[in-house]
Amino acid sequence: MSEKLLNEQIIGQIQEVFANLKDPVQVLFFGNEKDCEYCDDTRQLVEEVTAISDKLHLDIYDIERDAEMAKKYRVDKTPGIVIAGRKDEQIHDYGIRYAGIPSGHEFSSLIHDLVTVSNGDSGLSQETRNYLKTLDKPVLLQVFVTPT
Amino acid sequence: MVEAMEFQELSNRHRVSGVPQTSINDGAGTVVGAVPESQLLAEIARVAGAAKA
Repeated sequence: MSEKLLNEQIIGQIQEVFANLKDPVQVLFFGNEKDCEYCDDTRQLVEEVTAISDKLHLDIYDIERDAEMAKKYRVDKTPGIVIAGRKDEQIHDYGIRYAGIPSGHEFSSLIHDLVTVSNGDSGLSQETRNYLKTLDKPVLLQVFVTPT
Repeated sequence: MVEAMEFQELSNRHRVSGVPQTSINDGAGTVVGAVPESQLLAEIARVAGAAKA
């Protein structure tokens, strides 16, 4: 077994945050056996994180072998992560995607997004919510980040 | 979230100069930095139109 990415101290901190989880969350990981430098580490990271709470469910896919799932969830980059809600055994897709490894600063984004999806509350202001409801077409937001 | 170092071609296409940088509808709009919610919303509204914010 390979070495853990998360140490006891970090796991303890995440456990405290995850104590507030409400509804189950479904995480979908998409890897690629070819030409994917960060797939193994990302997969291990989401495996370790989702193991911390019973409310977090993880399914592992390969972008080529599971091309239909990748298409269904519009994942075209690896490592790719989908963070979705899970209610009554159904997956509720809120459109949240990660392309690349969520390390460094982005590790806290990952933890934060898991909590946000579980609690079903974006934290956005009422004004923002009112506006977003008026959108008649999907809007793509791509937030470019670096791990440091 | 797009990790810019891993997807450099995409980052170059979106002219990512600093992070975070948010691209709206594949480059139709751009927000550089971690801006307040209202500012991001204004750019979304500019690109996507629809009702006033």
